[in-house]
Amino acid sequence: MIEVTDLTKKFQDKKTYITALKHVSFSVESGEVVGLLGENGAGKTTLLRAIATLVQPTEGVIRVANYDTLKNPNEIKKKIGVLFGGETGLYNRLTARENLEYFGALYNLSQHETKVRIDELSRMFGMRDYLDRKVEGFSKGMRQKLAIARTIIHQPDIILFDEPTTGLDITAANVFRQLVHQLKQQGKTIIFSSHIMEEVQMLCDSVAMIHKGELIYHGSIETLYEEEKSEDLNYIFMSNLVRGS
Amino acid sequence: MFFTMFIKELKDSFRDRRTLLLTVVLPLIMMSALVFYYESLISDSSDSETINLAVNVNMDSQLKELFSSNNFNVIESSNPESLLKDGEVQAGVMSESQFVEKINSHKQPSITVMLRDEFSQDSSVSTIVMSALQQYKQSIVNERLLNANLEREMINPFQIEQTEISETNAGMALLGTLIPLILVLAIGIGAGPSAADLFAGEKEKKTMEALLMTPVNRFTIIMSKWLTISAIGSISGVVTLIVVALEIQFMTEHLKDALSNTANIGLIVVIITAITIIYAMFVASILMVTSIMAKTIKESQSYSTPIMMLAIFPVMVLTSVGVNELEFHHFAIPMFNIFSSLKELLLGTIDWEHIVITLGSNIIAILIIFGVGRMMFLKDKWVMN
Repeated sequence: MIEVTDLTKKFQDKKTYITALKHVSFSVESGEVVGLLGENGAGKTTLLRAIATLVQPTEGVIRVANYDTLKNPNEIKKKIGVLFGGETGLYNRLTARENLEYFGALYNLSQHETKVRIDELSRMFGMRDYLDRKVEGFSKGMRQKLAIARTIIHQPDIILFDEPTTGLDITAANVFRQLVHQLKQQGKTIIFSSHIMEEVQMLCDSVAMIHKGELIYHGSIETLYEEEKSEDLNYIFMSNLVRGS
Repeated sequence: MFFTMFIKELKDSFRDRRTLLLTVVLPLIMMSALVFYYESLISDSSDSETINLAVNVNMDSQLKELFSSNNFNVIESSNPESLLKDGEVQAGVMSESQFVEKINSHKQPSITVMLRDEFSQDSSVSTIVMSALQQYKQSIVNERLLNANLEREMINPFQIEQTEISETNAGMALLGTLIPLILVLAIGIGAGPSAADLFAGEKEKKTMEALLMTPVNRFTIIMSKWLTISAIGSISGVVTLIVVALEIQFMTEHLKDALSNTANIGLIVVIITAITIIYAMFVASILMVTSIMAKTIKESQSYSTPIMMLAIFPVMVLTSVGVNELEFHHFAIPMFNIFSSLKELLLGTIDWEHIVITLGSNIIAILIIFGVGRMMFLKDKWVMN
């Protein structure tokens, strides 16, 4: 479903180049849920942005659903849903319904298709009571549900979440975890970056660890436990960082 | 798709109370204040006024008669200076005792004219008082020349006649400065918040990333946002013009007369509206680029504020330039040309060459600035924080 081959991304800062990703290669199968682990500034967001076609690779190739991110970005955008942060990407002065209708239109859904999807999503996320209220009065939890609904309005096969629970309270974070579980059951391919190891342990089939732009581990959680002879992901992550430094 | 985005952007912008306030309410208040200020300026200069004049008690009756016309209300006082300081009179005149007798015996007596301060309306008071005294002085000189069997022409070799050949109406000349100034302010202030919100604001709230993740191409995104800013700027400008027209028509006297005496007023209004809309598009292009450059709304505002201050700079240069002194560059430089064109149009001159230069130069500037904005918007550096 997703194939990243020898990906390098460099950003120019005045006269110097900063390498955000160094020769990263990995693949994600259809229906797999991958947890992306790494410190702040390790390159997680850049990797997700590159997969989402928002930044172009300096070197290497990314193929999503058999499309090249450089050659067919629009085809990929139709199949992918991205949420950067837990409750972002919403227009506060529009109602929840208007936000969903707007993104439905941007993804070329017909008015009827959008209406049906809004009904499904509002039922699925329990949003019916506040569907016609302006977003500016919403709680964090309500915003987060709406942000996820907006991300999947066009029924993408692949969903990317960048630190979705950062800054959320326990209740809102649990709502997110339940929703990811539901999406997993629907067979969606999901990659999400996180600092919370329990969340990754609970939801993911495999993990990818990034340190200073390099992929230092990618594989199933079970294999990782066997290799490290521990089931404490927090300890394993820190050990890998020390080895990677 | 483009229309859907444009309508959504407009709806979102007008739900922002700041936009509504700055687009409609602020121009209304600014225009009202300035229209009434200019109306009072014209009234002050055209209405004849009665001057309260304090004179000393022992002033000669012949001299007092000088000030007995309709222009003066003479108040005798032992201390005219204190009346002037208290603000009870606008001017004071103090003459020596036996003033006329001294003149008749060629002793050159003195007379003192006192005014409050030179920056107030007393400058016109001074002219009226001094004019009355000059006339009196001239009559004495004439009488002396006659007694000496000399003709007046001996000391007055020629006469000066001053004739105004300009058809310029004072009221319209004032409007020619007032309307473009307010238009420029209204368009900048009206479009500013939306411009900051539509690019820098979307980056700040991360809605830009969500937008870029949709299959809509970036040209459609930037075009719909630019058109939204242009539309809001145009609405501010047109609202301003409507407010001016209504206030002049129903709430002023002198400015209304000035406007009704202008030929082809209907055509002039249409041309002014067209120039206003093109200028709003030009401003929208600049504001768009400043917003793309910024990462936050605050940063965007700190870039756009000096540019909008610069936009009112031409009024300072063009105030001293007469309508017949306007040259090619006054119409070819965007920002200058709205002032030049409106100055000319409001004085009743429709010069198609100047109008085409104004519209053409603005359109060229819009294309260049929009092109720069589009190039920036295609680069990841400018669209993502």
